[in-house]
Amino acid sequence: MKPWHLAVAGVLLVGLAALPWFGSDTLVQFGINTLLLAVLAQGWNIIGGYTGYASFGNSVFYGLGSYGVAIAMVQWKLPFAAGLVFGVVLAIVFACSLGAAVLRLRGHYFAIATLALAQVMTAIVSNIPLAGQNVGLVLPPLNNDRLFYELALGLLVLATLTVLWLTKSRFGFGLIAIRENEEGAAVMGVNTTLYKVLAFALAGLFSALAGGIHAYWITFLDPESAFDISLNVKMIIMAVFGGPGTVLGPIVGAVSLSAVSEFLSSAVTNIAGLFFGIVIVAAVVLMPRGLADIVRNVHKTGWRYFMQNIRAHRL
Amino acid sequence: MTTALLEVRNATRRFAGLVAVHDVSFTLQQGEILGLIGPNGAGKTTLISLVSGTLAPSEGEVLFQGETITAVPAYRRARLGIGRTFQIMRPFPGLSVLDNVAVGALFGRGGGQPKLAIAREQARACLDFVGLGRFVDQRADELGGPGRKRLELAKALAMQPKVLLCDEVMAGLNHVEIEEVIEVIRKVRAQGISVLVIEHVIKAIKSLSDRLLVLHHGEKIADGAPAAVLDNPTVVEAYLGKRRT
Repeated sequence: MKPWHLAVAGVLLVGLAALPWFGSDTLVQFGINTLLLAVLAQGWNIIGGYTGYASFGNSVFYGLGSYGVAIAMVQWKLPFAAGLVFGVVLAIVFACSLGAAVLRLRGHYFAIATLALAQVMTAIVSNIPLAGQNVGLVLPPLNNDRLFYELALGLLVLATLTVLWLTKSRFGFGLIAIRENEEGAAVMGVNTTLYKVLAFALAGLFSALAGGIHAYWITFLDPESAFDISLNVKMIIMAVFGGPGTVLGPIVGAVSLSAVSEFLSSAVTNIAGLFFGIVIVAAVVLMPRGLADIVRNVHKTGWRYFMQNIRAHRL
Repeated sequence: MTTALLEVRNATRRFAGLVAVHDVSFTLQQGEILGLIGPNGAGKTTLISLVSGTLAPSEGEVLFQGETITAVPAYRRARLGIGRTFQIMRPFPGLSVLDNVAVGALFGRGGGQPKLAIAREQARACLDFVGLGRFVDQRADELGGPGRKRLELAKALAMQPKVLLCDEVMAGLNHVEIEEVIEVIRKVRAQGISVLVIEHVIKAIKSLSDRLLVLHHGEKIADGAPAAVLDNPTVVEAYLGKRRT
């Protein structure tokens, strides 16, 4: 990394951190949402982008993190931080126990298995009295958006630094080797099972923290919203839109898609979903490898980059 | 007699009804180049996979440095010092040629080298060694066939193995390229690494190997000095069919 990279990152970070002091309430709320989504996309990037396992189970981690905070604060009257720790513990236990099983599956089968996990969790949590069953839990309100904003920003920085470390460490190279060719990785000495479970747990850690912060911010939680599959779809779309397996891709994806989504819902309220769908389809057709790949290649090929992608789809 | 570096005892591997390897035993001595030949489908690659640990034997044992490793998973065998190349090349396509090889140095024998910068230096040396020094910055999937064969070799060598298992590293190469690869394998042996080579090019393997092992329909039909093995009537028959009298 060059010095000016650090300088730009530093200035950007200070600017972002200062936003709650000069931005409007709406902007800060949009910021919290976007930052948490970016954390989720970055978490998914670890297991989906770097390890190559397209997980639909990350919303389970998010849900466990939310419930960790909710149960600790509502039922046990513990402080927020203790709730976060509890949620992270739940997510990591879940990742280690179920990861060992589902990570034996590859490709579509892994995706389907993890998809089922979220459904199962909704059903289980709906029947646990401690978790408020299907009525949900109401957390003590804390009207301090600045705090939530800074927490979310700090978490995103932590997640991004972790991913940056992946690109420079033995652990990260092991994950990339698994993504590129799992059998080849094993005969070169990569403990593939251990590495996959660790990546799953690491993704779970960040998703759970994001869920915990979100739960305390929104102050209400029920099984349907905690284990929402569409949230998982969202983080995948954002990570893939920006560029999976890159350090900044998921952030760029989360910010740009959140902005598009926000703009559309204010401009064309009723049919915003339709336009958002069009944006996604266009992105998949024109730039299937994400924005990061465009940045890398478009100066070589110019506008033909998009034509090549269209042709590759045989449209 | 000293214990062999690698020994396979009565190994059998079945795939459903098919017996790919049947009751094969052989040894590989320290510093030896052992050639493994046989017609297509003879079970050569399966036998190598039993040694590298990507397949488990249905029956029989694999020993490394006198200790049984039959139940040891592939990644730990790699750390013990067993490196292999794949016949169907398996580069990590999205990584640069250098980083492909660096993975071998980062893991490999004894758990590998934890520092990425040092691993990359070692990888660079391995790439120079196999003659790919000019291509370090290319993406692995941009290399042509012969380049990928060498890349497979470099990846395995970066692990600093004690045994190198080469699965058809010369297939599809021309005469000049074959000579170059043979030279590389000789240099590998000169470093004290034992080599097991699967090959179809009989001429090449005859001159390269200290000893030849012949598989046919999953069974060992000959094991000995190259010239003697290639004159063996059973071996000739396996390749060419029975002479009509």
